[in-house]
Amino acid sequence: MLDQNMKILVVDDFSTMRRIIRNILREIGYNNVDEADDGSTALEKLKSSKFDFVVTDWNMPNMPGIELLKAIRQDEVLKNTPVLMVTAEAAKENVVTAVAAGVNNYIVKPFTAAALKDRIDIILQKVNA
Amino acid sequence: MSFQADEMDDIINDFLVEATESLEQLDQKFIDLEKQPNDTALLNDIFRSIHTIKGAAGFLGFQQMVDITHCTEDVLNKLRKGEMKVSSGIMDTILKSVDLIKLILNNIKERNNREEDLKPTIALLTEILEGRFKEDEPGEASQASGKTGESEDEHRQARPEEVGVAREQSIRVDIERLDSVLNLAGELVLSRNRLMRLGGKFSDSAQDSDLHTHVNEAIAQLDLVTTDLQLAVMKMRMQPIAKVFNKFPRMVRDLARQMDKEVELHISGEETELDKTVIEEIGDPLVHIVRNAIDHGMEMPAEREAKGKPRCGRVELKAYQEGRNIVVSVSDDGKGMDPEALKRSAVEKGLMLAEEAEKLSRSDAFNIIFIPGFSTAKAVSSISGRGVGMDVVKTNISRINGTITIDSEVGKGTRITFRLPLTLAIIQALTVEAGGEVYGIPLSNVTENIRVTAEEIRTVEGREVINIRDRIYPVVRLGSLVDGKSGSDRGEWKYIVIIGIGEKHFGILVDRLHGQEEIVMKSMGEYLKGTEGVAGACITGDGNVILILDMAGLLTSVQRAYVH
Repeated sequence: MLDQNMKILVVDDFSTMRRIIRNILREIGYNNVDEADDGSTALEKLKSSKFDFVVTDWNMPNMPGIELLKAIRQDEVLKNTPVLMVTAEAAKENVVTAVAAGVNNYIVKPFTAAALKDRIDIILQKVNA
Repeated sequence: MSFQADEMDDIINDFLVEATESLEQLDQKFIDLEKQPNDTALLNDIFRSIHTIKGAAGFLGFQQMVDITHCTEDVLNKLRKGEMKVSSGIMDTILKSVDLIKLILNNIKERNNREEDLKPTIALLTEILEGRFKEDEPGEASQASGKTGESEDEHRQARPEEVGVAREQSIRVDIERLDSVLNLAGELVLSRNRLMRLGGKFSDSAQDSDLHTHVNEAIAQLDLVTTDLQLAVMKMRMQPIAKVFNKFPRMVRDLARQMDKEVELHISGEETELDKTVIEEIGDPLVHIVRNAIDHGMEMPAEREAKGKPRCGRVELKAYQEGRNIVVSVSDDGKGMDPEALKRSAVEKGLMLAEEAEKLSRSDAFNIIFIPGFSTAKAVSSISGRGVGMDVVKTNISRINGTITIDSEVGKGTRITFRLPLTLAIIQALTVEAGGEVYGIPLSNVTENIRVTAEEIRTVEGREVINIRDRIYPVVRLGSLVDGKSGSDRGEWKYIVIIGIGEKHFGILVDRLHGQEEIVMKSMGEYLKGTEGVAGACITGDGNVILILDMAGLLTSVQRAYVH
């Protein structure tokens, strides 16, 4: 089941990256997108309004992606929000950590629109199954 | 990616701006890192910046950028994990790759399709990664730079939070749009001035007192809002001087290392804000002066020790606000300048007659270095001699209505101070009349106005002067200066506007003083650009076009007249 109105939060400290991801999301039909520039602002946003999906970078100042993931999983309300982690190839070892912390899937930078769509579809199928 | 072309251009522009910002901050972080090589937080920070640039570059298809950032990131990753220690050799290599990143960024900006030669640097980075790297020279200079300045420490810690907050709440606006808002605000100021003038006349003549009260109220309200708008627009163009200061830690480090000198840079007031144009204009002059301070001012470490000074020299970069001006100063504790030696040198170079040189005051003697042809070094070293002399520095600073003063003491050091206007767009002007024409004089140049009788103006050695409180000022008649006609002698009272530019003063004789007005200066256009003594033109409240006088230019003519 694909809901194109799904509200997605894109978390990255580099605004160009947020814009790129936002564009790719638009390309694959998701227009309801908001942004946050690190884990802690993301958490605030997640707590103040409802999001259906989170795409977060790993390496960010203040609160990195992995901490954000852990915080989401520990929160009563947010714990079931699907999280897609964006990583760099050098940090593949991190994926193990992320999976242990409950990430739904990960994607390696740079990725194509098709690859992102693929990941999102897989996550949504599993979540909705 | 299959984005539309203009969307893609937009994203690339974003990337350029953001990556440049990120790199500017990196320079400071690298300097801090050299002092505290084990600071993991700092290493993480640096790693993240390079990592992020790589990530975005990958999406945008900038392969050269990906290649160089990739290797650099790997080295930084080893450093932050403590698998390797930071050494000056490694640092130099990383700095080299950061320079390459900047070059590539510039290539992207200029769309010149140039390819940088990455091989040597990537080879070095690979050597480091594989543990084959040899330090080519003991990096004494960098290690000896010693303890961290407190201010720099604070600076580094304050930075990340500030940036985080600012990024959340700010949007980027194309400078052209901003300038058009500024321009419109300027036009509004003109209309307001005109309306205020008309409102005054209207009140004088109006029969219906109720109506003119209302009109005046409306005008007063408009005046208030316009003033606020002006201020708000001005603030939009303001940027912290950190933008310029940021590049100095790296520059000072490289220069010192290159010359085997030991120099510590102290920066303060980097949060001081200045108009964007001013920020852009002071970069080169500051670079020149800091280079000079290290190249000519700073002694070799051994020489310093012999003189009983600390081995490590100190260069201080300071900015602060003083009234309507921003003051930026560069001071060093190097060898200083000897006014007598400057005078001798000027005479030897044929720039001045011996008797002229003798008459110069101490501060005038320092100003010798601004004479064209004086400071252009004979042997062009790669450090100071870039074919730019101090005269160019002076011209650049005058162009933005700034002044430079020099203070120096032999053996103790030199301080060069810029006084810069807060904004260039709207200036306060004194309007005066001479020979039937009205002119504007930038109020920032006016020291005082006095009323004199014709008899008080004396002639000494064929030159007109005025004695005010025992100080003699040369006097120029504005009427004769601008249109060749001698000022009329009608009316017994004359007015003299005393002009101060830096340490120099002179008086301008005018027929009448009109008043003070806020003006928006417009350039004279291509054809009349560069007319000596004229800075631009503006429309006044009564709708007339008047010329704004350029005091620095007039001063030059006055001095020239004095020599002949």
